[in-house]
Amino acid sequence: MAGSSVEVEIEGRRLSLSNLDKVLYPQSHVTKGEVVDYYARVAPVLLTHLSGRCVTLRRYPDGVEGESFFEKRCPGHRPDWVHTALGPGDRRGGIHYCVLDDVPSVVWAANLAALELHTPMARAADLATPTMVVFDLDPGPPAAMTECARVALWIRDVLDHLDLQAFPKTSGSKGLQLYLPLNTEADHEHARDFALAVAQLLEKQHPGEVLTEMRKELRTGKVFIDWSQNASFKTTVCAYSLRARPRPTVSTPVTWDEVQAAADGAPLSFEAHEVLERIARLGDLFAPTATLRQALPTPTA
Amino acid sequence: MPRAIWSGSISFGLVNIPVKLYSAVSRKTVHFNQLDARTNSRIKQKRVNPETGEEVPFEQIVKGYELASGAYVVVTDDELAALDPKAVRTIDIDEFVDLADIDPIFYDSAYYLAPDKAAKPYALLAKAMQETGKVGIAHFVMRTKQYLAAIRPRDGRLLLSTMVYSDEVNDPVTIPELADLGDIELPEREIAMAEQLISSLATDFEPERFTDTYRDAVLELIERKAAGEEVVAPAASMEPEKVVDLMAALEASVAAAKEARKRHPTAHDEVAPVASADEDAAAADGAGSGAASRTA
Repeated sequence: MAGSSVEVEIEGRRLSLSNLDKVLYPQSHVTKGEVVDYYARVAPVLLTHLSGRCVTLRRYPDGVEGESFFEKRCPGHRPDWVHTALGPGDRRGGIHYCVLDDVPSVVWAANLAALELHTPMARAADLATPTMVVFDLDPGPPAAMTECARVALWIRDVLDHLDLQAFPKTSGSKGLQLYLPLNTEADHEHARDFALAVAQLLEKQHPGEVLTEMRKELRTGKVFIDWSQNASFKTTVCAYSLRARPRPTVSTPVTWDEVQAAADGAPLSFEAHEVLERIARLGDLFAPTATLRQALPTPTA
Repeated sequence: MPRAIWSGSISFGLVNIPVKLYSAVSRKTVHFNQLDARTNSRIKQKRVNPETGEEVPFEQIVKGYELASGAYVVVTDDELAALDPKAVRTIDIDEFVDLADIDPIFYDSAYYLAPDKAAKPYALLAKAMQETGKVGIAHFVMRTKQYLAAIRPRDGRLLLSTMVYSDEVNDPVTIPELADLGDIELPEREIAMAEQLISSLATDFEPERFTDTYRDAVLELIERKAAGEEVVAPAASMEPEKVVDLMAALEASVAAAKEARKRHPTAHDEVAPVASADEDAAAADGAGSGAASRTA
């Protein structure tokens, strides 16, 4: 039924959804209709972390096995109720990004086969101020989730000593990410320096397990703590975003108990329908990242 | 970097200023090629004699000027070449006038004049024109065509606008609706109201606030098609459709997908397949990359 489209109404907005029967995840036979359904249902919690931020859409018009492209500039054919904001640009200047502030806007993006939603650490209204610090843990095979979880627990211990709290989520791919909420005055340089300092401390303590250098060839069997994700122009997959993996996995907020279990070998990966069920049961585990106010230690001169 | 399309010198009185000419405007119209829909190959036009159906070789094509009688006067390239304006390399400024005296209807294409070799005489002329508020009216030859041009200063640089000749401007009286507008009686009160409306909308002209939304839409369409997305015409251009509630629309679609999965036993396999490549950091594509950088 190629080319079929249906006109829907959602929260008073009209939207044309197309090709809902198109299979976007061939291995697990998940259709675009199911992707839109997931995003419509997860939107109320997703929006806590997505709204007010410039979003980079990663679109998979032919599904996860087809070509994809990052779309930073908000498409010109957007409905006029989809917000935009000026964000980090290229050499020619700033770029107007989409800002998905409500359920219809999220559904609109899902209908563009924007499976992955990537966001910067700062809000669009204040691009110079990151609202959180991210520790992006990326395992180099044969290291995997187990090793990531161990490193995450070490980071938590370091942060404990500084009276700082961080919140873990799966990347939805192979790794884990820890978000340390700030919601106070901060700047990207300080956030990056802090993440690097913590990472280097752990690299010193666990040289066989932790890496702070970008180079892929060094990564074998180690966990790379990507501190550079704190740069103003970088984006990280948003909490509750789908990933374009063989199965419809989601970047899922998890509890520290689950991270502990993963460090002991338990699997830690959730698909769309499981995430909806978790939200119903556990609520939004990531809610504190939007509100908890913490200050990074001031670097000593 | 744009390339100079002409070089020579500005000449007035005894002064000679070497200059180069650059286009001041780059048209951004989207161009299409004509293809054979069956094979997507470019089509080619042939010059054909309609009476014999035969293709006419290039060397047998001549220029004919149609007379009122329907007969043609054939003019050879050599004859035309003899009439070509001498390819003099000067832009001769004939006089200086006030900018406000030139109606915008005369302006054709805009070019930048750039100094060639020595910048000082150029800067001097630009400064002097700025100070006196005058615009130079000049003539020059470019590619066998003689142009009328206006040269004016702008931020210490010189701009050249080619102009149409006055006999190329259509007389509005030849347009019937425009011929007798002067006879209409206009009450003062209504003029005052119209003036009030105009002043309420008056603002400074900021050209960057206006963009070619049609061009943006065409490029967007092309980008999406190039990315393999099926592009359907926007709903506005179609027959009004039945509007349904989002969740109702999805319910049917999700149920159909679940049904289809039952027929695909492998899709139930709960063992996560081995990951191909890690893409966690893939979005970190830096500030330098394009607005929508493509990945393979």
